[in-house]
Amino acid sequence: MRAGAAGRRTGRRARSCERMHKGWADPLCTPTLLSLYPGPRYLRAVATFRLQGSRVLAVTMTGDAVKAKNGSMVAYDGQMAFKKMSGGGEGLRGMVTRRLTGEQMEVMEVRGQGTCWFADRASEINLVHLHGEKLWVEASNLLCTDAGLRTGTTFTGLRGGASGNGLFTTTVEGTGQAAIMSDGPATVLRVTPQYPLSVDPGAYVAHQGNLQQHLQSGVTFRTLLGEGGGEAFQIRFEGDGLVYVQPSERNTVGGDV
Amino acid sequence: MPFREINSKMIEAAVVPGQRLFSQRGAMLAYRGDVTFTPNTAGGQGGLMSMIGRRVAGEATPLMTVEGSGTVMFGHGGHHIQVIALTGDTLYVEADRLLAFDGTLEQGTMFLGSQGGVMGLVRGQVTGQGLFTTTLRGHGSVAVMAHGGVIELPIVPGRPVHVDPQAYVAHHGDVRNKLSTALGWRDMVGRGSGEAFQLELSGSGAVYVQASEEKL
Repeated sequence: MRAGAAGRRTGRRARSCERMHKGWADPLCTPTLLSLYPGPRYLRAVATFRLQGSRVLAVTMTGDAVKAKNGSMVAYDGQMAFKKMSGGGEGLRGMVTRRLTGEQMEVMEVRGQGTCWFADRASEINLVHLHGEKLWVEASNLLCTDAGLRTGTTFTGLRGGASGNGLFTTTVEGTGQAAIMSDGPATVLRVTPQYPLSVDPGAYVAHQGNLQQHLQSGVTFRTLLGEGGGEAFQIRFEGDGLVYVQPSERNTVGGDV
Repeated sequence: MPFREINSKMIEAAVVPGQRLFSQRGAMLAYRGDVTFTPNTAGGQGGLMSMIGRRVAGEATPLMTVEGSGTVMFGHGGHHIQVIALTGDTLYVEADRLLAFDGTLEQGTMFLGSQGGVMGLVRGQVTGQGLFTTTLRGHGSVAVMAHGGVIELPIVPGRPVHVDPQAYVAHHGDVRNKLSTALGWRDMVGRGSGEAFQLELSGSGAVYVQASEEKL
């Protein structure tokens, strides 16, 4: 909703720029400079995310909004309004995508003035700052994002099936903060072109950066006989970026064989 | 301060002769010294009437009296433990969340309908507290269990705090609570935000909130 409003606002500004162009050239209206123009975007009140302990997220808002997992509010002071949204992208296309992919994120929009505390099933919370890059995260591990961040759904292929999360994953893109949850404190592992990383699909939480991923399988003759080591599949990350791993494993197909 | 936190899930209590301690039955993990544990059929303090009162109210958690001299360690179910020090004010807490408390504290049962009438009863049902809740008053400390970590939110006059009923643990001080509903047409058509009921606490004191929506 918020992103839509912002889009409309920029649209209006673009139109007013056109009008101004008839008179004289406004340097701020060229697309490249427009994105650098530190005007309304920075004047806009931004919710501040803060961790209180490792399991509670405190978000201070001044009239702006955040998107959070449905029902994850534990307390608030001041004035807050809660409204259900639907994740997986905006508009009709997003709705169709959600229906098809099953990556239905139950999201609510929280708007108001004051502090709102979020927590979910005593999961550990990690804050991620995004500066225009993209974060891939499982919908069930996403707790809260800045309203300015765009969320969408992407196809992950076989990896999704192996990690026990379905074939699709949620993407978060833009500039702002996001809070992701993990079962136990998450470890951030750096991937560089020289050092690729293999991760257990059940322990994978999220990744960001310019990474290629593919599923590698260690299925051998022994696995087929039922003598596997319980590590039949791994996700291999190559490129440059960060991978978030939790010290716990979801139930996966790979973990059973 | 008789309770010392060993880690977030275990506490150690010093027992000295002449001072009693109440704890949930079966919550002892280890002890040093000469300590006796006697099951408390009355389920706490007071006479026969208060015992019947607790039975009727369903607030009769099996308690035991801890006496003697030494140190006792308590913990239960791997739950996080929060030690709350009371200085003359009243703590409102669910009986099954009580792990241990000083014998000097005065235990009582409060009828939720006495605060807010019918809405108080509805509030009790929604929060899963039932119709009654336990009160502890006096000077001493209380160990309260919660799922996940606990945060303490101060309540100051003119700035009420709203709490998810499922995440509410306990509160103390001069606090009035009422159930506020934010039910709209969206909830009716199944598109609610999952935050339809909130506990509004106003006055002065503090409320303890757990990092989870799960009951014990």
